[in-house]
Amino acid sequence: MSGSFYFIIVGHWLSTPPVFEMESLPAEKAESKDDHRHLNQFLAHAALDLVDKNMWLSNNMYLKPVDKFNVCFVSAFVTAGHMRFIMLHDIRQEDGIKNFFTDVYNLYIKFAMNPFYEPNSPI
Amino acid sequence: MAQCVQSVQELIPDSFVPCVAALCSDEAERLTRLNHLSFAELLKPFSRLTSEATTPWFESYRETFLQSMPASDHEFLNHYLACMLVASSSEAEPVEQFSKLSHEQHRIQHNSDYSYPKWFIPNTLKYYVLLHDVSAGDEQRAESIYEEMKQKYGTQGCYLLKINSRASNRASDEQIPDPWSQYLQKNSIQNQDSYEDGPCTITSNKNSDSNLLSLDGLDNEVKVDGLPNNFRAHPLQLDQPSDPSNSIDGTDHVKPASSLHETKKGNTGIIHGACLTLTDHDRIRQFIQEFTFRGLLPHIEKTIRQLNDQLMSRKGLSRSLFSATKKWFSGSKVPEKSINELKNTSGLLYPPEAPELQIRKMADLCFLVQHYDLAYSCYHTAKKDFLNDQAMLYAAGALEMAAVSAFLQPGAPRPYPAHYMDTAIQTYRDICKNMVLAERCVLLSAEILKSQSKYSEAAALLIRLTSEDSDLRSALLLEQAAHCFINMKSPMVRKYAFHMILAGHRFSKAGQKKHALRCYCQAMQVYKGKGWSLAEDHINFTIGRQSYTLRQLDNAVSAFRHILINESKQSAAQQGAFLREYLYVYKNVSQLSPDGPLPQLPLPYINSSATRVFFGHDRRPADGEKQAATHVSLDQEYDSESSQQWRELEEQVVAVVNKGIIPSNFHPTQYCLNSYSDNSRFPLAVVEEPITVEVAFRNPLKVPLLLTDLSLLWKFQPKAFSGKDNEEVKELVTSQSAMIGTEVISEFLINCEESKVARLKLFPHHIGELHILGVVYNLGTIQGSMTVDGIGALPGCHTGKYSLSMSVRGRQDLEIQGPRLNNTKEEKTSVKYGPDRRLDPIITEEMPLLEVFFIHFPTGLLCGEIRKAYVEFVNVSKCPLAGLKVVSKRPEFFTFGGNTAVLTPLSPSASENCSAYKTVVTDSTSMCTALVSSASSVDFGIGIESQPEVIPVPLPDSVLKPGASVQLPMWLRGPDEEGVHEINFLFYYESVKKQPKIRHRILRHTAVICTSRSLNVRATVCRSNSLEDEEGRGGNMLVFVDVENTNTSEAGVKEFHIVQISSSSKHWKLQKSVNLSENKDAKLASREKGKFCFKALRCKEKEAATQTSEKYTFADIIFGNEQIISSASPCADFFYRSLSSELKKTQAQLSVYAEKQSTEDAVRLIQKCNEVDLNIIVLWKAYVVEDNKQLILEGQHHVILRTVGKEAFSYPQKQDPPEMELLKFFRSENTTVSSRPSVEQLSNLIKTSLHYPESFNHPFHQKSLCLVPVTLLLSNCSKADVDVIVDLRHKTTSPEALEIHGSFTWLGQTQYKLQLKSQEIHSLQLKACFVHTGVYNLGTPRVFAKLSDQVTVFETSQQNSMPALIIINNV
Repeated sequence: MSGSFYFIIVGHWLSTPPVFEMESLPAEKAESKDDHRHLNQFLAHAALDLVDKNMWLSNNMYLKPVDKFNVCFVSAFVTAGHMRFIMLHDIRQEDGIKNFFTDVYNLYIKFAMNPFYEPNSPI
Repeated sequence: MAQCVQSVQELIPDSFVPCVAALCSDEAERLTRLNHLSFAELLKPFSRLTSEATTPWFESYRETFLQSMPASDHEFLNHYLACMLVASSSEAEPVEQFSKLSHEQHRIQHNSDYSYPKWFIPNTLKYYVLLHDVSAGDEQRAESIYEEMKQKYGTQGCYLLKINSRASNRASDEQIPDPWSQYLQKNSIQNQDSYEDGPCTITSNKNSDSNLLSLDGLDNEVKVDGLPNNFRAHPLQLDQPSDPSNSIDGTDHVKPASSLHETKKGNTGIIHGACLTLTDHDRIRQFIQEFTFRGLLPHIEKTIRQLNDQLMSRKGLSRSLFSATKKWFSGSKVPEKSINELKNTSGLLYPPEAPELQIRKMADLCFLVQHYDLAYSCYHTAKKDFLNDQAMLYAAGALEMAAVSAFLQPGAPRPYPAHYMDTAIQTYRDICKNMVLAERCVLLSAEILKSQSKYSEAAALLIRLTSEDSDLRSALLLEQAAHCFINMKSPMVRKYAFHMILAGHRFSKAGQKKHALRCYCQAMQVYKGKGWSLAEDHINFTIGRQSYTLRQLDNAVSAFRHILINESKQSAAQQGAFLREYLYVYKNVSQLSPDGPLPQLPLPYINSSATRVFFGHDRRPADGEKQAATHVSLDQEYDSESSQQWRELEEQVVAVVNKGIIPSNFHPTQYCLNSYSDNSRFPLAVVEEPITVEVAFRNPLKVPLLLTDLSLLWKFQPKAFSGKDNEEVKELVTSQSAMIGTEVISEFLINCEESKVARLKLFPHHIGELHILGVVYNLGTIQGSMTVDGIGALPGCHTGKYSLSMSVRGRQDLEIQGPRLNNTKEEKTSVKYGPDRRLDPIITEEMPLLEVFFIHFPTGLLCGEIRKAYVEFVNVSKCPLAGLKVVSKRPEFFTFGGNTAVLTPLSPSASENCSAYKTVVTDSTSMCTALVSSASSVDFGIGIESQPEVIPVPLPDSVLKPGASVQLPMWLRGPDEEGVHEINFLFYYESVKKQPKIRHRILRHTAVICTSRSLNVRATVCRSNSLEDEEGRGGNMLVFVDVENTNTSEAGVKEFHIVQISSSSKHWKLQKSVNLSENKDAKLASREKGKFCFKALRCKEKEAATQTSEKYTFADIIFGNEQIISSASPCADFFYRSLSSELKKTQAQLSVYAEKQSTEDAVRLIQKCNEVDLNIIVLWKAYVVEDNKQLILEGQHHVILRTVGKEAFSYPQKQDPPEMELLKFFRSENTTVSSRPSVEQLSNLIKTSLHYPESFNHPFHQKSLCLVPVTLLLSNCSKADVDVIVDLRHKTTSPEALEIHGSFTWLGQTQYKLQLKSQEIHSLQLKACFVHTGVYNLGTPRVFAKLSDQVTVFETSQQNSMPALIIINNV
């Protein structure tokens, strides 16, 4: 699978900085995308509005692609504590992304159990 | 979406108004031109009301867009209904002119050369207007022409408009409202403002001369309702053919170029309508009313009637009309399947006068006169017809208008059919590829949806229309979409921000910089401070760029500044780009205002609180053998412990100088101010001495920063030298080199993410108050993106010149927050900070300045080694220096020699290979006996009261002249403990002239000495048994000295020679050496031990009598051939120093018991006789091989003997660390020292010895009893009178004991009672009687002693332990 992904974890307060941020680009595109890193943030940030709206409409933590911009899909996953995992991807791959979210959720829970970790602070 | 002032119900009728054309004759045009208005413009304000809105650019865009819609064939909304033909009364043949114009109109309408303008119906209403200039023309003539016209065209078809009632050049006092300015001004401003690069048709339209005019139709119903003056609802609107080349060439006499020019002039200050009076305004208004009611509306009514008739005549059509209407009221829907059919067929085109179009024409007319019910049903019917015919364009148009009229129906009988609109948009866009129509449709639909609060649908519509082909349109639509998001019930702020960004991007692509900037700024409010740094950086960067291109340089600077100062996650290249951009912008800013204040630069970061200030010269580097005092420098780390030590030292010396009291205004001298030092007072700096400020920079970026011409920024208030008290505060001077010299660092490179300090110097040349404000520098970066991590990285940088790509000059202030106050209650409850004055030094008058150099100063010593070094004191200032003292916690480490004459060479060069000691060559014969000398400790600076730590430096004249230097010898003695020792010296000096501000100055030096083990000396003293010495005096002592060579590690140290052992005491002296070893020098190789035994005597009484208490007697016993005079420097110095430091230790211990001792005199007295104050000095030489050279090192060890029989050591005993005490909750029992002194102590009170022959021959066969005379010597060791009882009777009464001991008996008096005076020796003659041969123990007498004035009797029992054996032989 090639395609670029952008993953970000956002705390549930509006004013806190993103908790975690990561980009994964296919090798050949690594340089060309460098100038557009801010675009991912813009998209993820704009999608938050829809995530906030959609999470009350679904019983699942995993929200299917909530937003779409040009070729970019935005999938989201909202934990019970309203941590919002957001994934930008340019290929449709719901199962993979869902599994990824679940894995990240497990990891995040383990991390959050650390008594020295202050919730919503950057990891 | 931004709220529009106009409601949608007003907007749509406003957008679709009946169009009326106007054709003017040259002369008529000329008349109106007098007012700088065209005829169309002249009428405009009286037919229309303008509005203001929150996003006026969008509204005006929309307005212009809707108005400039080219008339198309499929709809008739903007086709011309009527034509005004205007001629002037001043023309020669106005009637001719009218017919000419009429022909012209006819030609335009029916000639196929003109595709524009489009006319609604073939027989257009012609309305004839005669323009009459009141001020110039002949009124009679005008009236007659008008009469003629009335006859020709009917009263309803013509009008006489009188204007220009006054001359244009006449200055008018009355305030005439200028209704044109509102309209024309607005348009032209917007033209230049936001539509510079807009669709060129709009621009050219606006600027070209307008000779066609559209007029709003008046609502029939309104008229019936009797509201005839409702002009607000009937705006007259300007419209033109969209292409100037297609305009009517016959009438367009004013050339476009000149009209453009004129319009512009009008904008800039020409008063419109200058020739018009208020009456004229009224006349124009009346004219419009007349035209609408008399001309236009009847014409429209007539047309509708005609069309309706036509339709009714076409039966089928009319049926469909009615059935459609019925269907609607019964609630049925339009079949949706038709949409699918639309797609695969291309649009059908009807001829202009096709019957299918008639219904549409009628619908449009109904719509124009706001008859929406009828319009809707007509549109609906038309839609169905067109769909059946697969005429997609027509169908879409009908759908669109059907939806609009459904919406506009009063009372809203049916819901707004949004899907009509969607279908229409889709059709326009996808099938007809007509973006303009699609856009119009979207604008209308979005507006309608918004009015129904369906914001998300509106936003979706608007976003869907954005495309690549028109940036301006996309930008405007995106912006509106963004506004839609924020106006939602639960506002989607982030969507809003995102679309604002997109809009801004498109605006900037369309060249609308101001709008782009505004969009980005609005979006910034959402993103600001949320930690989405990449996004924020991008916005800031764009804002910066846009601001820059708009010459809003301050905004640009602050935006760029934002990117740089936040901890950026950008890549190095990106940061480099940001930085370069920032610098470029900054440069422009500074070039704009070269004389303005220097801008504050954001980079690099300055850690203000880490700023350190140092007063004084830099430390000179070591110069050959000379080693400068370490003093204070910025290279030293702050250490609270050591600074506390220095402070104590300074207090000590100041106390000594001020006779034991530290002045209340004393503050420790601080040469280096940092965040730990006390910065609450203004520091004092001395004129002509540099001030160094260390500024801590940090580069947060991933690109290196280069600072050039870096220097300090300061403010100085000079103080006049004159005696006047009122110091005249001169004007604040900045950077005036005469007062203060400023050092400039030409280049200072900070690598990426590096923290670096810069040291900047100031040289004050004048006294006064200095305030260091900040730093000033050129900020730049290095050409090229490579990082400079080493010199090798850049081949050209050996010269130290980095090629500067760009740099800007700016400043950064140093503001240091003081410590938080926490003393008073108020301060505790609030957060207050004290002042920090470290950057505000007061420059005071000249002070002496001392420099100290150490020559031959060793770094390694053996324990106890004596080394001679030299100290050079230099006064580098212009003031004489006095009162030089040195203070140290370790006074036993060094000495400058006593007051005795110095015999050793004074200069360091002469002292090579010379002993540090003062020596005298002696003959070998005297080696066994001691050579006695004496010295007072006062000579060596050791008094009882004086502080031994404070040592005055013996300057030759006690004053050091300016520029003078003095070299003094200094002896050092290696500390007794091995290891590394840091020894602090504090040199204290004063000015000869008393200074009010600075009383004294100090110089610090820290010497680091590494000592290694040498000798270990233990000594004991015990009483000699022989009571008589040569002088016949009691009180002899034996001194045993054990010397061990403990030096193991040093390979170079070969052996130690003990060259001399000296004693020093107030009362005792060594007399002679007891063991006469064969080798004179006592050699000790590694790990060898040697033992010496000496006899010690009390000093003679007469000696003692002459001695003051401070006089010590030195006795030297020499093992070599040189006597080291122990009573002279440096031997005695070190002895006294070690003694005093030892005394201090013991005093501290003893003081605990002081009070008890006073109550127990007896015990004290008894103890006293056990005490001895003998001090042993062991002088040695060590033979050391170092670098194949043999060196002889000298040294001395001291042993202080206090108690008889107790071992004393030269080196400090390791004390067991005190065990941790349990916390006690009860008072400990007072463990009083028993009033009975210990047996051991008592046994020393009286010393006894028996004198008898060791063997005694007695002829037992002659005489059975053998009598042996025995002398018992009793010696009183104490200073008090002692009563002694001697009991000769055997103590032990057991028969066994008698058996063992053998039996002898004392004859004669067996019990004595004596009183011994102090130090008295008494002898008793006893007789022992033996009956057998054998060995007997004579030590049986028991001696009891008691102090005469005491009651208690103590037994001295020492004799029991020492057998006194006598051999009785038979002969």
